[in-house]
Amino acid sequence: MTHTISAQSLLTRELLARRRPGYSLEAPFYLSDTVLKADMEHIFGKHWIFVAVEPQIPEAGDYITVDFGTNSILIVRDDDNQVQAFHNVCRHRGSRLCASQQGVVGNIVCPYHQWTYDLSGKLIHAKHMGEDFDPSHLSLKKVHVRNMAGLIFICLAENPPEDFEQMAAEMTPYIAPHQLSQCKVAAQIDIVEDCNWKLTMENNRECYHCVSNHPELTISLYEYGFGYQPDEHNKEGLQRFQDIMAASHKRWEAMGLPSREIDTLDDRITGFRTQRLPIDRSGQSQTMNAEVASKKLLADFVDPALGGLSFWTQPNSWHHFMSDHIVSFTVLPISATKTLVRTTWCVHKDAVEGKDYTKENLTAVWNATNDQDRRLVEESQVGIATGAYEPGPYSPFTEGLVEKFCNWYVKRLSALIP
Amino acid sequence: MSTSPVTSSAITVALAAHAPDFSGAVSPSWSSDTDEFLRCVHVRQETHDVKTFVLAADEPRNFRYLPGQFITLELDINGEKINRCYTLSSTPTRPDLVSITVKRVPGGVVSNWLHDHLQPGMVLGAMGPSGEFSCFRQPAQRYLFISGGSGITPLMSMTRALHDLGSDADIVFVHCARTPADLLFPEELTLMARNMPRLRLAMVCDQHTPGSHYAGHLGRMDAARLAHIAPDFLQRDIYTCGPAPFMRVVRELAAGAGYAMERYREESFSFESLPAQVAAEIPGPQDRPELFPADSVPAFQVKLEKMGRSFSCRGDQTILQAAAAADIRLPSSCSSGACGTCKTRKISGQVEMKHAGGIRQREIDQGWILPCCSRPSSDIALER
Repeated sequence: MTHTISAQSLLTRELLARRRPGYSLEAPFYLSDTVLKADMEHIFGKHWIFVAVEPQIPEAGDYITVDFGTNSILIVRDDDNQVQAFHNVCRHRGSRLCASQQGVVGNIVCPYHQWTYDLSGKLIHAKHMGEDFDPSHLSLKKVHVRNMAGLIFICLAENPPEDFEQMAAEMTPYIAPHQLSQCKVAAQIDIVEDCNWKLTMENNRECYHCVSNHPELTISLYEYGFGYQPDEHNKEGLQRFQDIMAASHKRWEAMGLPSREIDTLDDRITGFRTQRLPIDRSGQSQTMNAEVASKKLLADFVDPALGGLSFWTQPNSWHHFMSDHIVSFTVLPISATKTLVRTTWCVHKDAVEGKDYTKENLTAVWNATNDQDRRLVEESQVGIATGAYEPGPYSPFTEGLVEKFCNWYVKRLSALIP
Repeated sequence: MSTSPVTSSAITVALAAHAPDFSGAVSPSWSSDTDEFLRCVHVRQETHDVKTFVLAADEPRNFRYLPGQFITLELDINGEKINRCYTLSSTPTRPDLVSITVKRVPGGVVSNWLHDHLQPGMVLGAMGPSGEFSCFRQPAQRYLFISGGSGITPLMSMTRALHDLGSDADIVFVHCARTPADLLFPEELTLMARNMPRLRLAMVCDQHTPGSHYAGHLGRMDAARLAHIAPDFLQRDIYTCGPAPFMRVVRELAAGAGYAMERYREESFSFESLPAQVAAEIPGPQDRPELFPADSVPAFQVKLEKMGRSFSCRGDQTILQAAAAADIRLPSSCSSGACGTCKTRKISGQVEMKHAGGIRQREIDQGWILPCCSRPSSDIALER
């Protein structure tokens, strides 16, 4: 058994070592169960993973479960309103504790034999266990959890990367003005993509494909926002975008909304990137007409034209914070060739459906875009699996952030794999 | 005033061991952090089924507590460690000793053990004091103290303290009991009333004891009797202690009369059989068998709609207990309101529920209850 694992490690090591910078990854990274196992153990097992937004558990006792790979994690708001995370596994005989994706608990009770844990994870009731039974060693296994201005991250490692605090210090001023904790979840949609999770992430990190594939998204999204090769035809458009960006940043910064780019995607363990990007047309929101989807704006905003604060994290999330709503994406591997993409739309908690917003209008752009992206990554998965695939070159103009994702991934896995 | 001679040499020895040095400095304060044991130094038979146990620390100690607070005793009964909370019936104005006053409850493990075994010289584990129920937290000029049975203990402590302090507080002290033979501290209350011109006493007994010279109220506490005893009760701060159904009656009388309920305080108690680790976490005297007279408690009908079964449940029983007694098995596990296994929707009726986190307020708002920790205060229909 030990030999098998080392052989697998060696294989993965060799693949990592021969990765050619500036080129897509070799096929086994997208196909192999061995690599997926390494991804789960080292990437998803030892980094901060974005899993939920605070409005999913607005009140004490609200819980959600998040499953990825072979993990099931229970995230619950305790009676002090703090977010707690545990392995969703009973300390008795291992039954999963909460089977629903979300719900309400008083205490956490195993459905099998009613072992009961309080919301700090302490075992407070177990019948028939005798006089000598010591419940103090049978608390639920805790998982590190951080709530960054309403974004909930977990880390399964015993010693999580410490640079999360650095990200939180830098990002909180960007995110906090949108007051995510004062929002409600207006919609949440899960889709399963038949592809490796890295294809989902790589696709997210470029907009090379946007103009041809995302007619709905590009109503509001400037195609210039993610790298572009200048030429005679686009010279004017590019210049105009840069002028709008400079003017917008000046205006937003003056309003107390940090806007300038921060990019630590491949030079930190907890890599991330952020920038507040202008929105086309009326400049308001990622909708079918670029106007706000919810008339009730977030926080104390009065100006609907705040662009979109984008925030991307390694290894598995991206978010867009606008004046009227916030849309968050979490990517969770199911297997080497199946990936869950969970999209969550939040609006102000006092916004009234049917009056201030409709779910249909709020979700229209990203529902369409997600579906288009799903087809793109699934076709990639099929092509990569044919055997004719070999790594191809990234565009130095439009795929720099894909390269940063792969570079981060290869560096992190190389550093952690035995 | 004559002093009573010490008649027993054994008591002389016990007293000598605990006598403070009245000519020296004040004794250090007692703290259960450092003195975890108390020694029983005296036992008084108050009535046929109530005893007072006087307790002292082994070294001279000054007991500081708010009149009305309780201590938790840790008892070793048949090899099992059992914790019980008991209100201190003593007053901190006599700081060298504390006392608890305990009614023997038929079938009650702890009260029977205390009555049968606790003798001067024996030591007990003790923690505390704690508790919120004290008129010394929010002093007022006019009080209505209403006690049922051995629920008199915190009010006795408060009254003793006010008496010793020479307080001129205006107090109506109501004590309810089953019979005149069950009245607690009648002589001492009379003496305090003589010393405190604004302390008035009213005794209320359910029934007469043949041969007794008792001439107080007979019957139950109701609106007419309350208005008769304390016509100005709306102007008084009310402190109530007694069995749950008794307190409910008083509370509803007050609320029904338009009393400002933020000035109404009662000593609540609930769990009878919590697992030790849960009990330890819940502040307040959860388990006070001295406050549960088994008789003279109203009973209600509980109807299980889906099962088509009905059974009777006394106001001091949980619905789960009464169901079990009626041979009806409901899903349950912890019996203490922690696990929520018995959660059931209530179709109609009122219950008193004291849970331990097994149910959320919004579930309660939607009509859910935990039968294991709910006692009826009316007829009940459940969706079971």
